[in-house]
Amino acid sequence: MIGYASLLSVPLQQLVPRGTRVTVFQNIFWVFLVLGTLVGIVVIGYMFWNAYRYRDGNGKDYDDGDLPQLGEIPKDGGKGRKLFLSFGLSAIIVISLIVWTYGTLLFVEGQDTGQPSSDVGVENKDPVVVDTTGYRFNWSFEYENGKETNGRLVVPEGRVVQLRVTSDDVFHNLGIPKYRVKTDAIPGETTRSWFVAEDPGRYRIICYELCGQGHSGMIAYIHVVPQEEYEQFINNESSLSEISASDDESGRLAAAR
Amino acid sequence: MSDNDQPRTATDGGTADAEASAEVTEELPAPGVGETEDHEEHALPSLGSVKRWFVTTNHKDVGILYIVTSLFFLVFGGTLALLMRIQLWQPRAAAGGPLDALAYNQAVSAHGLIMVFWFISPFAFGLANYLVPLQIGAKDLSFPRLNAVSYWLYLFSGLLFGISFFQGGTFAGGWTMYAPLNVPKYMPTAIGSTMAVLALALFVASVTVSSVNFLTTMYRMRAEGLKMRKLPVFSSSILLTVWMMLFAFAALLAALLILTSDHVLGTQYFLSPEGGSLLWTHLFWFFGHPEVYIVFFPALGVMAEVFQTFTGRRLVGRKWFIASMVLVALQSFIVWMHHMFLTAINLEVKTLFMATTIGISLPFDLMVFSLIYTMIKGRIRFTTPFLFSFGALVLFIIGGITGVFLGAVVLDYEMRGTYWVVAHFHYVMVGGATALFGGLYYWYPKMTGKMYDQLLGKVHFVMYFVGFNLLYFPMFVVWETPRRVFNYNPAFTPWHQAATIGGFLLGASFLVMFYNLFVSLRTGEDVGDNPWAYATSAEWAVSSPPPLENFPGIPSYRGGTLSFLDDVVPASEVETDGGQEAIEADGGEVVEPDGVYATHDHGHDSHASIWPFGISLGMFLTFLGIAGLRPPDSTDLVAPGAADPVLVGVGGVGLVVLGVSLFAMAREPFYTSEAPIAERWPYAHVEKVKLGVWMFLGSDVILFGAFIGSYVFMRFNAGWVEGWHVFIENPIPGLMNTYLLLTSSFSVVLAMVAARKRNTPGVIASLLTTFMLGVGFLINKYIEWSHLFHEGHTPSAGIEESTFFLTTGLHALHVISGLVILLYLAWRAWGGAYLGEDEPIEYFGLYWHFVDIVWLFLFPLFYIL
Repeated sequence: MIGYASLLSVPLQQLVPRGTRVTVFQNIFWVFLVLGTLVGIVVIGYMFWNAYRYRDGNGKDYDDGDLPQLGEIPKDGGKGRKLFLSFGLSAIIVISLIVWTYGTLLFVEGQDTGQPSSDVGVENKDPVVVDTTGYRFNWSFEYENGKETNGRLVVPEGRVVQLRVTSDDVFHNLGIPKYRVKTDAIPGETTRSWFVAEDPGRYRIICYELCGQGHSGMIAYIHVVPQEEYEQFINNESSLSEISASDDESGRLAAAR
Repeated sequence: MSDNDQPRTATDGGTADAEASAEVTEELPAPGVGETEDHEEHALPSLGSVKRWFVTTNHKDVGILYIVTSLFFLVFGGTLALLMRIQLWQPRAAAGGPLDALAYNQAVSAHGLIMVFWFISPFAFGLANYLVPLQIGAKDLSFPRLNAVSYWLYLFSGLLFGISFFQGGTFAGGWTMYAPLNVPKYMPTAIGSTMAVLALALFVASVTVSSVNFLTTMYRMRAEGLKMRKLPVFSSSILLTVWMMLFAFAALLAALLILTSDHVLGTQYFLSPEGGSLLWTHLFWFFGHPEVYIVFFPALGVMAEVFQTFTGRRLVGRKWFIASMVLVALQSFIVWMHHMFLTAINLEVKTLFMATTIGISLPFDLMVFSLIYTMIKGRIRFTTPFLFSFGALVLFIIGGITGVFLGAVVLDYEMRGTYWVVAHFHYVMVGGATALFGGLYYWYPKMTGKMYDQLLGKVHFVMYFVGFNLLYFPMFVVWETPRRVFNYNPAFTPWHQAATIGGFLLGASFLVMFYNLFVSLRTGEDVGDNPWAYATSAEWAVSSPPPLENFPGIPSYRGGTLSFLDDVVPASEVETDGGQEAIEADGGEVVEPDGVYATHDHGHDSHASIWPFGISLGMFLTFLGIAGLRPPDSTDLVAPGAADPVLVGVGGVGLVVLGVSLFAMAREPFYTSEAPIAERWPYAHVEKVKLGVWMFLGSDVILFGAFIGSYVFMRFNAGWVEGWHVFIENPIPGLMNTYLLLTSSFSVVLAMVAARKRNTPGVIASLLTTFMLGVGFLINKYIEWSHLFHEGHTPSAGIEESTFFLTTGLHALHVISGLVILLYLAWRAWGGAYLGEDEPIEYFGLYWHFVDIVWLFLFPLFYIL
């Protein structure tokens, strides 16, 4: 798939958003939002304008030639060309937008295993792989050296983190809004995802699939710490309480972004 | 009975030659004709009597029942939504707010289920019930009693769902019911959630009966000259909707039967680590995505009708509009995995489903433009129905644009499970409901003969539209709120408060509607046949409300416009309806091809029967009983409690009521006539009961397909050979059963031959032979199963056992149903029936051969591979 991805994206190299998931998401989201708003305003505006212009009783432009009659067999109202022109335009907008994002999809899909692409923009190319398991109603994380934590994910700043996610009981969905990462946690399956841990701090990990009574409160935290601190932590040289001393509120607000 | 007797054959190819004796008696308009239709002759009590509403089989009455009931569920589901909005007034900790966590989850789940299943589709089908026969020029639906069965099953399924609240709480796993949260192990409200699942299954039974009925009607009962592509757009939209329903709901039925079995028999499908969770998502979304269009198509149809009438213009690009709907209906079955982009599916599959998803969105662009261009050079009157339809189009455009975001997989990755999705689908679905309310305002004068207060109608619209946008638009702004969560980010609070206020405004707007429509029943101005200028479809050519049998003659479009021909029904055309049809407890329906083929004077169609109510009551009680069952041997899998003996007892009573009602309905003389002149392409040579049987079998194919697909899926996930323990060591019982069934198919054919030769003993002997072979099949299966049980291979022993027992068990249930029908056929043959009239046996044969063919698939799949 990677070969195919680069083949497709050669002419689009400059156009296709690449980078961290946050960058990619923001770029695409804003383009969609601006274009979507524009199209919406044009189409709905055109609707209102027509509704106003052809309101009953304004006496103009009314075609009295061939009024619909009660009991007629349904007939076509004509204007097929105009219809297809607008349909064609809308199809071009939608298809080009999706094809454009497809390039990014290929890029994003390529990063969840192996070495990340240089476009991700991290210096340390070694990914941190964390096995994540959802259970009612929390998350557990197993690091590469076998260390496990519950409800707290500690990762080093500026590295690609690759998640392997599954569930012990029911269908969950792990999401870290701060890093625009989300993936299903399904019993019996393992899904993969990735993100770049930027900005040291503490952020929410939220469950996005209804999983029972405790679903609303199924919130874990990710602690993004400097590399040395991370190493101390996974080698049991420091404890969670030392790390979780970082500012609670900044994390909460950041989750709001 | 056969089409050869018909005076003429109409095809859709434009060669509708007419019988010379059928004369044009009236040109339009024909005001008031037929208003004197006498009721007593049809044994149908007057509109004011309570009894009427229990016995009526008339499509217009049933339509009104549907509409009123669905509005009740709108209030029910809406109240739950308001409870949620109160809870969301501010972020809450687990114990805070008016609802506790479990209650909130129940409210979320029940709100979704009630609105999707018990409100919006039945509301649309209330309109369809009332209007489709009128629009296509039919007296009623093909099977009026089955139509009543559909309604009562719908009502009782809703009641069953309501009762589930009082069984320790209802289902709390979201309307998508993801596995394995949906099994008792994770459901603290075990009996209540089982009951909710069964309520859905009962609802699906109603939908299936209804789909078969509408399809048969629309293919067999169109007025002369009304070709399939010339149907009014609302009728076209309903036709496509029922096609989707026929297949999509069969997949849902499979999912629900498996889930029920996991609840009450202890099978292991959804708990199984070999893909049980994913199996549910596949089955559910294979139904779930077509369901979106099932909900939305009727709304499109209403919009098209209302736009045409109130702009005084014909729909621009009408044929492309309809072609777009056809395209969407077909494509709707190949987009389901876009709901699963974050499950472990690979990139190729994601790409494919991304492409199909974009593909399915494009026809909607065309439809939207078509509606907009219809306004050009029109004479637009801003009546209440037009405002609602116009508003619906605005909302749908917003819903569509925000849907394109979700079509981009990279964005979908982040938006999954958030309020973006919630806001998007409410703009689409409630947008659709907006058009349907427009439809109610549009056709209310037709249904009641009264006009409502236009000003109040407009007040309703303004409150509705403002409330709607105040409710749902803030959800886009704070789209990062996770779904089904009340502990959201405090920074989002003002937006959620705006939404809550909007929700209450939206709810209050309905008080205006209820008041307006209720008061207008008494005080509204009388309307004539057609209060709306430029309306064209046939319902406006008859009185308001229309007479019992709709038209003053046989509707025909022969001359290019609607006219009514002399009623010239030859006596040979008289047929029986639902005597041939029976509903069964297995959740689907089995067509029982038998009936009373008495010759009867035409023009005295029956319109009343209590047995649809009886059958539905019986099924309701039976399902109550099933909800009380628990698996005998797997207490560790079922969180709380054992079987509920009271419920099970009620279920026993239900079975008796069901049996008696089925028998009584089969025996009841009930006459319906088919118009001698009608468009019937492409089924001109398929008699209506036969067509109904075929349609039903079509849905049954999907049901078994889903069961077999589930087995293959689970086995494939486990590892076809190495991961799967094939516990059946002896294929001989299965092989014997294959031969027994094949032979029994042959003896059904012999029964037909004997019937044609008017040989009563031959008929009885052949039918009983078939019966005995079927019994032999069951005895053999019983021996085989008890042997397996003794070896410890119970349904709950593992996924291998679960798939085997449930799939072959469903087949055995089909065999048992067939045997019941056989007994009835033999009993009727004893009384001298079917001589020279082998159709009932033929239709039974279709079913029986189908059951055989299914076994021919099951045998190698479960015994040999």
